[in-house]
Amino acid sequence: MIRLRPPTPLFSLFLGILLLAPSLGSQEVPPREPAAQEEGDDVTLVIEEGQTARIRLAFPEPEIRGDLSPEAREARRELESALRSDLQSTGIFQIQGPEALSVVEPTGDRGRDFEQYRSLGNEAVLLAEIYQEGSDRIVLEGRVYDLASGQSILGKRYRGSFDLARRIAHTFTDEIVLYFTGRRGIALTSIAFVSDRSGEKEIYLMDYDGRNVRPITGHQSISMAPDWSPSGNAVAYVSYYGGFPGIYLVNLETGEKEPVITEGSLNSAPDFSGDGSHLVFSRSLAGNTEIFSVARDGSDLRRLTRSPGIDTNPSWSPSGRQIAFTSSRAGNPHIYVMDAEGTNLQRITFEGTYNDGAAWSPDGSKIAYATRRRGRQFDIAVTDLALMETKVLTRRMAGSQESPTWSPDGRRIAFASAVGGRTQIRVVPAEGGESELLTADGNNMAPDWSGHPN
Amino acid sequence: MSRKGMIVFAVLMLGVALVTTACPKKKAKQADDMEIESTPVEVDTEEVTTASTPTTAEDEKPEGLPEDLPALNEEIRQQGLIGDIFFDYDEYSLRAEARDRLAKNAEFMSEHPELLFTIEGHCDERGTNEYNLALGDRRANAAKDYLVSLGVDGDRLRTVSYGEERPFCEQDNESCYQLNRRAHFVVTGRADMG
Repeated sequence: MIRLRPPTPLFSLFLGILLLAPSLGSQEVPPREPAAQEEGDDVTLVIEEGQTARIRLAFPEPEIRGDLSPEAREARRELESALRSDLQSTGIFQIQGPEALSVVEPTGDRGRDFEQYRSLGNEAVLLAEIYQEGSDRIVLEGRVYDLASGQSILGKRYRGSFDLARRIAHTFTDEIVLYFTGRRGIALTSIAFVSDRSGEKEIYLMDYDGRNVRPITGHQSISMAPDWSPSGNAVAYVSYYGGFPGIYLVNLETGEKEPVITEGSLNSAPDFSGDGSHLVFSRSLAGNTEIFSVARDGSDLRRLTRSPGIDTNPSWSPSGRQIAFTSSRAGNPHIYVMDAEGTNLQRITFEGTYNDGAAWSPDGSKIAYATRRRGRQFDIAVTDLALMETKVLTRRMAGSQESPTWSPDGRRIAFASAVGGRTQIRVVPAEGGESELLTADGNNMAPDWSGHPN
Repeated sequence: MSRKGMIVFAVLMLGVALVTTACPKKKAKQADDMEIESTPVEVDTEEVTTASTPTTAEDEKPEGLPEDLPALNEEIRQQGLIGDIFFDYDEYSLRAEARDRLAKNAEFMSEHPELLFTIEGHCDERGTNEYNLALGDRRANAAKDYLVSLGVDGDRLRTVSYGEERPFCEQDNESCYQLNRRAHFVVTGRADMG
């Protein structure tokens, strides 16, 4: 579900376009939509799966101002390519690029050029200018115009070193998404994950598009199950370097590692509370794993479950009031939800022979998890908690899928996909659709999507 | 693998001055003679910058076994004094032959009170990572409980679950899965007999 809230009066025009888009003739100027404007912040537009009510955006080749050094040319290429793929993957635009726009004959007159973009069915145009500043910096000036009115609606200038070209594109994309949807984009978010590319399993971070991979642990042991702190300055994880799986925190600013809880034979599957003060995790008591919570400094240890079955893989709801987890108390592993104090237990899954890896959607209305329903393969399923309706997202995908994690805008789910003995991280729209590959080097798994950066 | 120079990015909002755009206010005629106006966009300049990434080179590493123990483990394994036990799929109950094997293990353990053991629980790859960790923990503890019932001092036995993290066999077939569903016994230390 995409909620579109107009942040500016001008936006209502775009909302009008969007509402009419399915029936809109490509050259018609849509009438203003007075109702939308009156509804103000309460306007909600639900885009059903498969519906393509997208804003038609012309994005011609950026104009290059002045001369570019070879490094600047490379940075320009990276920037433009990131900006195009970022905008494409937002899912809110239908984009015409340089090829589709090749029929446009620049007149030197913006109004006439706009009319040409408009006659090709576009509702808005993004004009970008890129230039070099000094010996090592690149600048992007991006402006978005409403083609119906000819008015400029968004303008931004970003400046950074060449190696930040993609970062600049991500920053501008999020600004554009914020303008058109009233919600922050996710182009600046990151994904923590486990990779064995160095030979041992270590924790890594990558940008939301799979680029800019960097390790954050180097224990040369088994490290796994990363979980972002809500503020984004630390990642909790499990490592065996002390001999037994214990829970640690890595401070992303200093690189320092500190133990949260390492006493005992098994502490695993950490998940931060929404306020970042506590972690919920699974812990073995002489061969029986139960759910516990602990303050991030290791104090305030509390046991939350008491069952002879396996209880593991807990996930705190965004509100902090509930915890989802996996339990074999009824025989097979299934997903349950309890209050944060361990009371008020409710079973969520009844289908499939094996369900694990519960992940709450950012709005708390749904839980994604891995479910076994065909042979021994797992699929990613999403259960709507209010309707108790379940949708399997990966039914037609090859291999076995597990460890789902939601993007902070709730529009995408990343997961680990094992095919033919290799495991890679993929991302799929939360409503279902085609998945995209994010990783390739070694085996990559256990993704955890960050929140929005501060 | 060195990833020096890898960076964590931070966006700093530095340039706060509003800069007028390069496109001046201008009017243009459209084909239908409608006048359109493209007003200048106020442009904030954002300085996009980086913070250096912390190194992982100093991270603590696992301590290996004391020097003589790998050879000792190899020896007692070859002589059949200590052996691993195997489990059914998604099970941690002990099979009859596993009990027989544990009885022999218990005998050796009782004869060598100076040795400390770690029992590793392992699973095949077919479950999920976290659930397999819990299952491996159950397998290791099932073995430990039985050894203790045979008189081995529980303080000499530690358990650790590797779930599906350290497979003994990496092919995708049942005989391989069976090899991976096991409790594995390792001498990991010597008791302070003083």
